[in-house]
Amino acid sequence: MDVIRKQEGATLTISVVGRLDTNTAPELEAEMKLDDAGEVVFDLAGLEYISSAGLRVLMGAQKIMAARGGKMKVVNSNAMVRGVFDITGLSDIFSVE
Amino acid sequence: MRRRVIFTATPALYVVLLGVAWSIGTRQAEKDTNAQLDYAVMDFRDTVQGAIDTMIGYAAKRVVTYLGEAKAKSLEEMADLARHLDIDEVNVVSREGDIIASNDPHCLGVCMAGDPVMDPFMELTNGVTPTVSQPFRPHARNPKVRAKYLAVAFPGGAGFVQVGLNETRLAKMLPTILGYIFDEWLLGRTGFFLCADAETDALVSNPSRHRDEAKTLSETGFDARAASRYEVTDNSNKGRTFRQRLFGEMCYCRYFTFAGHRFIPALPEREYYDTRDMIVTSMAVLLAIVLGGFAVSLSRISRDSARLKAFYAAEEASRAKEMDIAKTIQASSLPCDFPVSERFELFASMTPARDVGGDFYDFFPLDSGRFVFLVADVSGKGISAALYMMTAKTLIKDILLSEHDLSAALMRVNDDLSRNNPANMFLTAWVGVIDFGTGRVEFVNAGHNPPIVRRADGTAVWMSEKSGPLLAFVEGAKYRSSSFDLAPGDTLFLYTDGVTEAMDAKGDLFGETRLMEAFSVAPSGEPPTLCRLVRTLVTAFAAGTPPTDDLTVLAVKYLSRPRRFVRTFTTTQAGIAAASKFLDKIAAKENNAGLNATIPTLHVILDEVASNIVRHSDASGFAVEMEVTHDGVTIDFIDDGAPYNPLLHVDPDTSLGADKRPVGGLGILMVKKMATSVAYRRDHSRNILRVSKNWNG
Repeated sequence: MDVIRKQEGATLTISVVGRLDTNTAPELEAEMKLDDAGEVVFDLAGLEYISSAGLRVLMGAQKIMAARGGKMKVVNSNAMVRGVFDITGLSDIFSVE
Repeated sequence: MRRRVIFTATPALYVVLLGVAWSIGTRQAEKDTNAQLDYAVMDFRDTVQGAIDTMIGYAAKRVVTYLGEAKAKSLEEMADLARHLDIDEVNVVSREGDIIASNDPHCLGVCMAGDPVMDPFMELTNGVTPTVSQPFRPHARNPKVRAKYLAVAFPGGAGFVQVGLNETRLAKMLPTILGYIFDEWLLGRTGFFLCADAETDALVSNPSRHRDEAKTLSETGFDARAASRYEVTDNSNKGRTFRQRLFGEMCYCRYFTFAGHRFIPALPEREYYDTRDMIVTSMAVLLAIVLGGFAVSLSRISRDSARLKAFYAAEEASRAKEMDIAKTIQASSLPCDFPVSERFELFASMTPARDVGGDFYDFFPLDSGRFVFLVADVSGKGISAALYMMTAKTLIKDILLSEHDLSAALMRVNDDLSRNNPANMFLTAWVGVIDFGTGRVEFVNAGHNPPIVRRADGTAVWMSEKSGPLLAFVEGAKYRSSSFDLAPGDTLFLYTDGVTEAMDAKGDLFGETRLMEAFSVAPSGEPPTLCRLVRTLVTAFAAGTPPTDDLTVLAVKYLSRPRRFVRTFTTTQAGIAAASKFLDKIAAKENNAGLNATIPTLHVILDEVASNIVRHSDASGFAVEMEVTHDGVTIDFIDDGAPYNPLLHVDPDTSLGADKRPVGGLGILMVKKMATSVAYRRDHSRNILRVSKNWNG
């Protein structure tokens, strides 16, 4: 899995490429570094699949952002990843686009 | 004068042809036998080495998981471990290469780094290499014993565990490892693989063709003393073939010993000379008919015309009778022992027209995973076409068995046929090779009619691809192979122009449209059903007209049997990662569109279930048993931990807002929703979670 961070103004875009599961989730957690971004966008265009370990990291990010009044959204997920968000009822919480 | 020359030259030419066919047949049979035996010995070594590596590699991994890190343990505890894991030696080695724990007091304190034999194991301390394995070799302290060592690294290369296995212990396990593999070992069409305990002489294998005929190796007729002179002792097993009578049949054999067992791959000689003998005998009989005809004609040619006419009438009658005999001979040269297999079904038939003709079909195994089938049509009819057909059939089979690249093989066939072609004959052929594993058919079409594929759902399509040139027409012509995939349940149908060019009383042709219509009324795709249906329709269509051409049909149906993949993993993060790799490997091996599309989902399911086992269970390891069929997959996750049914968890409420959402429980919910079915059972003190996923709806 690869994590690519891109900061533009107050918006931090994190692209996740590859597979997000118990093996790689700790890596994303370590690389995420939300700092003081006002908005964080997870670009999942290159994400093959996501398991609950990955969901847990995204839920963590969502909590951090909510606590400081920031925004978070998830974009470009493939059908499989989108299905996982729907099954777990996270589509709305994560503002999946 | 010219006629006299032709009368002498033609028989002479036939005799030469006969000699050439005999010598090509003999040489090729011997080459084939050697190649088959080489392959059998090599294949055996790979299979057994792989099985031993898996077995003792598993033992070493168990120790790595059990200890967690390289640390000293008492001699007694190490001896207990070795006994428990059924191995001879177990050593714990520090990052520096020192043996810090062992079941053998002589090993304690020995340093591996710099040791000529043991130094290669030090590679494990680089933090990258997971396993190092060495082949059997004489033991360092007791060279009479041969032993094999394998080691598995601790995480990060912080030392490793090395396990050793002696051949004497292996000898005891060998019957279990080999299990039934020898009983169904594919060696030619009638060959078999014998294996026996060297001490007790008891047979470990029980070849299916000679089931229960012998309990010991001597009862098979094997002469160990004679064979020992040919024993293969090193890796170069080439050229050590010898002949012995086994189960009453003269066989070509190899002989080698390993771990207290004797091994004999054997190929009955009859199988290899059968083809040659049949071709040459058939050619000789045809030749006798031709020579007889010439002799009679020559002696009577000067008699008066009235007698000549009477003679011709009689001659015609006897020629017709001889032609019948020739026809029978030709038909009997085509194989009719249709293979019985779980991976495919095959059926074919050839109905000759008035005279002996030039149609033929053939089929034979190429290796243990692939099967060749072909249909061909030689130009012209009569004795010369039949003789040429025999030569072409032998040549195609011989070259395909020795040249595994299909395009190259066809180019060689074409060159050989073009060079030895005194009568300027030619032929069309469609040659296919089916891979049972994938259903892929690789083929070369040399100017032949396009085949039809009847799909499992009953629809039928033409497989029209650009065809290559006719065979035996131009030396040096190029052929390029193409391929297409058969799905389980699909049937491929081949035929000759005796089908499409059959003529009715009005002079209309049967044609491709009527052939395709036959498929729409076919009740099933079974090869015998399709072949008989087409033959019946063509015969009915051409009723009342004399059959003008041979009629040949051949059908192959691809079947699919479930494939099972089993592997055990440690209950660690590394174990989950290894299980994920295992899944990717199966997908690559299966190469199945349905499975490939489902792989991301299966990865998620595997990640959830495996991490659940690692988190909640005290199991020492977990096993993944996967069964793949043509429309779905079933995965059993098995662990030996305390009883635990993950399905009893209450599903988390997925409608709660972000702040109230629980972190756990999502994984099992996802598995339930993504799988087609999930079931838990407790069996023999093991937890078994069975997850199924279908990809066809």
